[in-house]
Amino acid sequence: MNRSVISLGLTSIIFVALQLDIVSPLRVGGVVIMVIWLWPVAVGLTATRLEALFSGAFTGLLFDAHAATPLGLTGAIGVILGLIASRLGQEGIGDLDSAAWWVMPSLAAGAGFSAPLFFALGGTLYGNLHFWRANLGVMMVVNAVAFFVLVRPLARLARRVSSNALSSLR
Amino acid sequence: MASPRFRRRASLSVLLTGIAVVILVVSGGVVSGIRTAAGLVVEPFSWSINAVARPIGHVLAGAINYSDVVHQNQELRAELGRARLQSEQTEALRRQVGELTSITNVPFVGTLPMVTAPISNASPTNFVSTIDIARGRSDGVLPGMPVVANGGLIGRVVSSTLHGATVALITDPVSLIGCTFGDGSSNVVITGQGVDAPLHATQVSLTAALSPGTIFSTDGLNGGLYPAGIPVARTVSTSITPGSTTYEVSLTPTADLRHIYYVDVLIWEPGT
Repeated sequence: MNRSVISLGLTSIIFVALQLDIVSPLRVGGVVIMVIWLWPVAVGLTATRLEALFSGAFTGLLFDAHAATPLGLTGAIGVILGLIASRLGQEGIGDLDSAAWWVMPSLAAGAGFSAPLFFALGGTLYGNLHFWRANLGVMMVVNAVAFFVLVRPLARLARRVSSNALSSLR
Repeated sequence: MASPRFRRRASLSVLLTGIAVVILVVSGGVVSGIRTAAGLVVEPFSWSINAVARPIGHVLAGAINYSDVVHQNQELRAELGRARLQSEQTEALRRQVGELTSITNVPFVGTLPMVTAPISNASPTNFVSTIDIARGRSDGVLPGMPVVANGGLIGRVVSSTLHGATVALITDPVSLIGCTFGDGSSNVVITGQGVDAPLHATQVSLTAALSPGTIFSTDGLNGGLYPAGIPVARTVSTSITPGSTTYEVSLTPTADLRHIYYVDVLIWEPGT
């Protein structure tokens, strides 16, 4: 149990470090691709709900600690994405092996498209109205495309890392 | 009689609680403590990724851009020479302005101590314009302190941990800067509109002498967030809407925000 939980936690930390040091400085069209939101989606589509929630909350909270955005907001979005993805994963929609190749990328693109919108909505609840910015649409499109491209390799990694990761806790 | 497993877990819990309390006390607050702890967790991984990725990136960039780098180096040397000359010429003027502003009790940037800090990270997200610097409370860097670099104001410290701080850039939509220009008789507020968007100035009267190239500097008014005399923005263009009593002004930061590697934090807090 401990080893598999640690492997999921370590992979999440590595994703946060990759996000901060490699992905965030490489802006596409002036927009940051949020790999830390793709990770819980990939885990949710291939593993269990608990694993997806853990990945979303843990990566989000670690990332929040490095950003000047409201503490916990990125984690909350990660949890929501993980929850939705895990529901779809449990239904077998977008299964890595049996579904058509484009189903999982399409679901991830939907997540990438809606995640910045969820974040702006969440920011509004915190009183940060300036999150509704002119380039919100660009953020949504760029993240949707990036999620579409990246989700399958990440899902394979998630399946390796998360197999039995938290099952012993249930 | 407690089982060995229970004792192990209890000892581990006490140890982790102790570490958490120490982090909270040393870093000064719950949010700051969480940020410090998260920084400690991610730091080794960040360091490892940088150790591998940066040399590869530098080799590729160096191979492709070598002639550009040589050219930039030559230009920078020439620019440094001009800046040294100008610095020496303005030293006397600076002293005079410092004396005048001390008489009028207005803080002036030229007389304030500074802490030089390297940039450790640019904003990792789409929603805020910030940079992280590698100097924190242990170096005297506190929230509210102005930050300058590349020839102008770049922002203000919004949070600091023991060894790091986050600076909100002047392009951030929450940034509000009291400024003056020309003969200093007009005061305006400059606001940010996002990373790549121009700055916005409120209510610049048509009676003011304003033309492309005019520099806006902090006004240093009582209770303001910045000391007087820091260049903030340069006028790019002006236009007048028929019937309006104010200019439509397009401004660009005087500091080059795209190429910042080191910044100077002014050891000055609002209200001092």
